[in-house]
Amino acid sequence: MIVLATILLPLVAGALLFALPRQDRVLSRAIGVVVATITLVTVIAAGTTSEWSFRWLSRPFDAAFHFGATPTSFWIALLLTVATACAIAASREARLRDFVAQLLLLEGAMLGLFLARDLLLFALFWDLMLLPVFFVLIGWGEHPATAWRYFIYNFAGGLTLLLATAAFGVIYGSTDVIGRAAGPLVGAWAPWIYAGFAFAFLVKTPVWPLHTWMPPTYSGLPAPMVAVVSAVQSKAGLYGFLVIALTLLPHEVHAYALALMVLGAVSLIYGAVIALTQNDAKRIVAYSSLSHLGLIAIAVGSGNPIALRGALVYIVAHGLFSAALFLVLGYVEEREATRLLARLGGLGWKNPKLAGALCIAALAALGLPGLAGFAGELLILIGVYQAGYVWPVIVALIAIVVASAYFLRLYQDAMNGPEVPDVPVRGDLTWPEALAVAPLLAALVVVGVYPAPLLHP
Amino acid sequence: MSHSLGVTGTYPLVLTLWLLPLLGAIICWAFGPQLRTMSGWLASALVGISFVLAVASWSDATQGAGGTLGAHQPLASWLPGFDFGLLLDPLSLIWTFIITGVGFLIVFYSIGYMDGDRAFARFFAYMSFFVFAMLTLVLSDNFIGLLVGWGLVGLASYFLIGFWFERQSAVAAARKAFVINVVGDVGMMFAIFLIVANVHSINFGAVFAAAPALSAGVLFAICVTLFIGAAAKSAQIPLHTWLPDAMEGPTPVSALIHAATMVTAGVYLVARCAPLWDHSHGAQLLVGGIGAATALVGAILGTAQWDIKRILAYSTMSQIGYMIMGVGVGAYEGGIAHFFAHAFFKAQLFLGAGLIIHALADEQDIRAMGGLRRRMPFAFWVMLTAVLSICGVPGFSGFFSKDAVIYGALQHGHPWVYATDIVTAGITAYYMFRLLFVAFLGEYRGEAAQAHAAAEPAHRPHAPAWIMNAPVAVLIAPSVAIGAVLMFGGENSPWQRFFAPLFGATSSRAIALPPVSEGVTTLLVFITVIIGFAIAWQRYATRSAQADAVARLRRESERMPALLTNLLYFDWLIERLFVRPAQQLGALFGRVLDPHVFDGAVRDLVYWARWLGTLVRSFQTGLVRAYALILVAGAACFIVYYAVAAGVR
Repeated sequence: MIVLATILLPLVAGALLFALPRQDRVLSRAIGVVVATITLVTVIAAGTTSEWSFRWLSRPFDAAFHFGATPTSFWIALLLTVATACAIAASREARLRDFVAQLLLLEGAMLGLFLARDLLLFALFWDLMLLPVFFVLIGWGEHPATAWRYFIYNFAGGLTLLLATAAFGVIYGSTDVIGRAAGPLVGAWAPWIYAGFAFAFLVKTPVWPLHTWMPPTYSGLPAPMVAVVSAVQSKAGLYGFLVIALTLLPHEVHAYALALMVLGAVSLIYGAVIALTQNDAKRIVAYSSLSHLGLIAIAVGSGNPIALRGALVYIVAHGLFSAALFLVLGYVEEREATRLLARLGGLGWKNPKLAGALCIAALAALGLPGLAGFAGELLILIGVYQAGYVWPVIVALIAIVVASAYFLRLYQDAMNGPEVPDVPVRGDLTWPEALAVAPLLAALVVVGVYPAPLLHP
Repeated sequence: MSHSLGVTGTYPLVLTLWLLPLLGAIICWAFGPQLRTMSGWLASALVGISFVLAVASWSDATQGAGGTLGAHQPLASWLPGFDFGLLLDPLSLIWTFIITGVGFLIVFYSIGYMDGDRAFARFFAYMSFFVFAMLTLVLSDNFIGLLVGWGLVGLASYFLIGFWFERQSAVAAARKAFVINVVGDVGMMFAIFLIVANVHSINFGAVFAAAPALSAGVLFAICVTLFIGAAAKSAQIPLHTWLPDAMEGPTPVSALIHAATMVTAGVYLVARCAPLWDHSHGAQLLVGGIGAATALVGAILGTAQWDIKRILAYSTMSQIGYMIMGVGVGAYEGGIAHFFAHAFFKAQLFLGAGLIIHALADEQDIRAMGGLRRRMPFAFWVMLTAVLSICGVPGFSGFFSKDAVIYGALQHGHPWVYATDIVTAGITAYYMFRLLFVAFLGEYRGEAAQAHAAAEPAHRPHAPAWIMNAPVAVLIAPSVAIGAVLMFGGENSPWQRFFAPLFGATSSRAIALPPVSEGVTTLLVFITVIIGFAIAWQRYATRSAQADAVARLRRESERMPALLTNLLYFDWLIERLFVRPAQQLGALFGRVLDPHVFDGAVRDLVYWARWLGTLVRSFQTGLVRAYALILVAGAACFIVYYAVAAGVR
């Protein structure tokens, strides 16, 4: 029951927020933070034991409104609620009430997705979670074309997911299968069903060459929203691979593993070298995301148990550092009215807290040993190598070197060097602003030093 | 802890001495503005206490033999086979002594050197963090912990090179150092993959126990990939180019990180992994060769520099080449002895240079010095004793350690390495005495150089405070005498006996009878040193040379061969082979492929779909609200359908 409350709370609160007076910015943010924090508590309280199920369909196949965390989705749900609470706390947008409401609706939709134990529910929440992002891109974004590009691309993925789910249900007889020790699907249709799933998952992650919706979306979205989207929404596809495809269609995953690894490896190096030359700070992080998530695709393809455990660590790590990076870059843009590296510089002298926050996030992202990103990367690559694949490991190691170059460029061009004279100098982070990113940075250290809880699901 | 090098059980002393500097870093970082100058005293006190604790744990660290040598403290476990712990054995104890002992002196010196800097407390936070990171590196009992320390010292080095981050040159140097060190980290990561795949453990004890059973190819691959990490950290060619640039950092940083401790991590790594190297002749040949080549290249480049810190940087690179060569060929005691002696005399050289730079208002060009012997007699004696030590003049510490390394090369059957080392010793004497003569003899040329910058008031040399002099004075004693005390007596010296439990089995492998005895080696080295000294004397110290010093030095700088001014083209090659191609590829992907090919394909698809969809164009009102309505209506239909379906069930 408590798991149902977890999902409904942000959805209902988000809807009710529209009833609040439009002008009350502080109150709407405070309500948003409180709701997101309570959701965080309920996710922990629900744990992996609380389940709620209500029978829905028996024809043409069995389906149920069945929610409950799996050992994998528990950590992602935790990441989601932490990221959302931090994002709402960091929100300073215009029309704040509506913006916070959209963030809460997004949280609810994604909680539904990750806590769904029924494939049909999963597919429906998949489409539902696109809507808040779409509306925010329309209402707060830089160009409406970006919104449509995001929506068409991901809705096409949602469509193949839904079709594949329907086919799966008809053949398998039930879609109430997530996180259950059910046998794999076999038969002539299985490769096609896998193709439907894989297309949706690869678009959402995204993986090269299906990524072109992502850089404009990530740079166009306001910082708090993109923090949640890149931290958690991008993991929906990887979660699908880890929890759904690997258990229900293991033969197909294995049969096409090489293709998945090639796509992951190309994403890895392609995103990294593009990030090296971008001028827009948010685009650098966007392309770095393409690069980093390619590594998880490689981990899935390798099928090695250590790599898969590492993949969960890296999912959480990437969520934490990409959320922190986007939130801090949002602070920078808010202060300096630009996010072009060529225009920024020397902020570190007057903004030591801002510089420190960006520094920790960037270091975690470039895989500094001792922070979360490193633990995930290392375990994934140990596993991939153990599985006998040497070339993806070498590609990944090259990408790690390139990552250190572009993340240092991002940090140094913004924070170091002489102060740029014509850029306004504003105050350092206020306490509320600092507190909004502090949990993410603290979690990066904790997970980096002691990832063991994530490794023993 | 099923596999552990060292006795099982806990050892809180090592935990405390490891964490104290971290505590110092956190306090200095969080309360810097409140602490002000107190942060320097606090940081040095905590590092000093760590040193005392290291001394106190001497007997526990040297207890036992073979697999149960030293004191052990388990920390945590990630997965089966991934256990973390701290290990204090003779090898890590020696490094801990230098890190905390010399570290204490340098941090204390910094209180004077960094006086008045606007980020005073931040400096001490970074220095303390470095000490913590370096202790992590040498105290870890496993390869991942080692790699964590490896990465964190790289980070501390990055922060401190770029400490004055308003200077673009410092920022660029910091980035270069970090990226090259990530190349090393990545090499070590690959070694870890090899190790885990073959041994299923990351623990030193388990890996070394399994080493004899590994195939020659795997063992060689592990050694080579580990050595990529060692080469990057210890500035071995071709990954050395970051070290001279790293001199952008404050001078105490150069003394602690880029001379005494961090850059010797590669020496530690090879010595720690002695059981691996012992079983791979190919790796010994490779590492010994690269070490000797680095020693030679560093010495050659050192002859062509004018910046006092860059001369010392190249000499560091060269001396680490000696150490790497020593541990590479299997002369572990000799390589470590040279690390030990070098830590003292090189820290002394850098701190002495710091006295000069501090007094001359940040002047680092030795052409603008001269005549400092009379103006700064203390600095002169500091530099002189250290130069005698680094050149290996008999009786000084450097003599014992350098001889041990050079003779070790011959003992282990590498005559070419041996010959290179002897030549290098002569070049070392030349460039070190060149530094000494140009900076300290003759007349002060500073005013002449400053006459051009007329507006600025001439900075006259002034005496530094006792805070800076005292640590340097303390360093003189070991850099002169520690060799005679510890390393005198060949096989029976205290130094050899100290390491006998660790390398006992391996030092007996000193193969065959060398064609030349140790006494002859000493003589050969001494002759080349005299030759190097004589050339330097002839060029810079004679009466005629000093009479027209300004003109001579200008002529020398103008006629410097292009090969030397371009630093043997290492930077040039790295730039053209790696940096520029990566940037061009990024530009190609980002500006051409991404927008026009991959996105273009999707746009074309949409275009054709639209062409087919002219029939439904009437729905395309262009109003966002209408689209949203259609969307919601569609979703509603879907839900109603299934609700009804559920009803008729």
